[in-house]
Amino acid sequence: MIKCWHAILEHPVVRLELQRVRRKRWWPGRRFFLFYPALLGAALGCGITWALGDRLGGQPALLVVGASSMCALNGLISLLGLALSWIAPALTAASIVHERELGTLDLLRATLLTERAIVLGKLGGCVVRLWPAILTLLLLTPFRIVVAAGSGLLSPTLLPALTMDGGFDLGQSWPWLLLAGLLGWLRPWGDLAFHAAVGLFISVPSRSSGTAIAVSYGTILVVRVALWLVTSLLVPLLVALPSLAETAPAPVYVLDAMVWVPALAVLATVFIEVVGAVLLVWGAIRWLKRM
Amino acid sequence: MATIIETRGLTKRYGRLMAVDGLDLAIEAGAVFGFIGPNGAGKTTTMRMLATLLRPTAGEAWIAGHSVRKGRREVRRAIGYMPDFFGVYGDMKVWEYLDFFAACYEIPAETRRRLVDDLLELVDLAHRRDDYVDVLSRGMKQRLCLARALAHDPQVLILDEPASGLDPRARVEIRELLRELQAMGKTIFVSSHILSEIEEVCTHIAILEAGRLVAAGTLDEMRQRVQVQRVVRVGLTGRVEEALVWLAGQPGVTCVEPVTDNEGGNLQVTFSGDDEALARLLSHMVGAGFTVVTFREETGDLEDVFMRLTKGVVS
Repeated sequence: MIKCWHAILEHPVVRLELQRVRRKRWWPGRRFFLFYPALLGAALGCGITWALGDRLGGQPALLVVGASSMCALNGLISLLGLALSWIAPALTAASIVHERELGTLDLLRATLLTERAIVLGKLGGCVVRLWPAILTLLLLTPFRIVVAAGSGLLSPTLLPALTMDGGFDLGQSWPWLLLAGLLGWLRPWGDLAFHAAVGLFISVPSRSSGTAIAVSYGTILVVRVALWLVTSLLVPLLVALPSLAETAPAPVYVLDAMVWVPALAVLATVFIEVVGAVLLVWGAIRWLKRM
Repeated sequence: MATIIETRGLTKRYGRLMAVDGLDLAIEAGAVFGFIGPNGAGKTTTMRMLATLLRPTAGEAWIAGHSVRKGRREVRRAIGYMPDFFGVYGDMKVWEYLDFFAACYEIPAETRRRLVDDLLELVDLAHRRDDYVDVLSRGMKQRLCLARALAHDPQVLILDEPASGLDPRARVEIRELLRELQAMGKTIFVSSHILSEIEEVCTHIAILEAGRLVAAGTLDEMRQRVQVQRVVRVGLTGRVEEALVWLAGQPGVTCVEPVTDNEGGNLQVTFSGDDEALARLLSHMVGAGFTVVTFREETGDLEDVFMRLTKGVVS
């Protein structure tokens, strides 16, 4: 593990990017490490407040504080995830084409660095540049699980469905809520990986950074709209299908489909994104080799 | 001497454009091989193929016994490549730049520091060690790039127009550096269209035009090849008119003209024949009582060779 970490840090391209980041003014430095514990403490405090509020029989004041804190935390994570996944392609799209514009790509390729090392190194360089945001998201996203559980319990639509149905009580709904939380946790990483990989792939054959960035955003937008269309058409259809097939649908069954189909849609989206990202990075390496 | 670079039928085609057409070259180890040709002749394409940056459409090339198609890594280990247009990371210091590329050549961190200092010493940039690359002059950047190409101590250097865009002093410095590298036993494959540049350092040259090899060989071979007609300057202390008539009647002499420029001699004789025939002409002339003070063959420079062999065709 340490050896692997050492190898990553010793990678010349990653080291080059690290050197650059260190020289830039926006290197967060100590301030970031003061900021993060404060944020983490606040989030944990809110979580405990909410949990206690629940235990204490749902005292209204505590519930109000807990719910709004959860919403704020959830909003922060969503915003950070969104910002990160839309900033990353701008960096990755410029990465390799910038080397070409500088006239250094040939110099790199003529060394003993393999094409794979160059592409992965540039990707690592982008991660290095975004590391404060990535670390924050990495440390905050586990709270998504708590948030999802909290908002699930507080949700006026889901809560009655879960509790009023004879076959379900709060205890049994926890696995589903945990799944929803896990998916909420996975989602930003899927987006980030896919968006970054699209940028990287388009960077290889491009002739200018501007074109590469524009084409990357265009491609991401098209793919996102397509994915959204597919899921928003498929999910209601899959939810409706079992109830249509059954002449006398059991309420348990309907509830089941309502929970697992959207969850499955999210899982499928994340899966497609991750597989797509891996394929795109592999394609970028192949393309650079063929040049 | 062993052949260190060899190409056989090396071809690169871009759509309908034939950039390099069946190139056959053999370069001996330790040679400084000048690769000349007009712009667009295919010099850079050939060099990029040899540096494994471009896949040949057909044919094969070997460097130090490794194929540029199959043994890319071994070839990269054996060569130091300097492209005609190259960039430098402006936000890096001179030593960081060399250290970065040395790391790319898998040179361990412990030895890199010493190596960087040695390389900077070699290219005379030791005093700029801690400056940013951005502030260096073009000539210095060129030398820095050469130092980068030497980081892994390659056997072969492939230098694409190393002196282009440099002022006369920087050119001389590069030339001196090439001489030094040759003395260190490196094989240098250098392209240029500044012919006088190449002439002074090269042991061999090849002329490329429209993707085809026009001629290749040592400098003397190339000169002889184009000089079927030899030009001799003859200096006499007197009887110039008489000598002119006498020479015109000698075998092998195709033209005799009186000259008045300040390059020496009174007559310019165009002669076709080998060295023996030329020596005979001189002895007959002296035998005929002419007072010859100079008898010197004009050696055409590389520019002449180039102009005679190329037709101005650009692919």
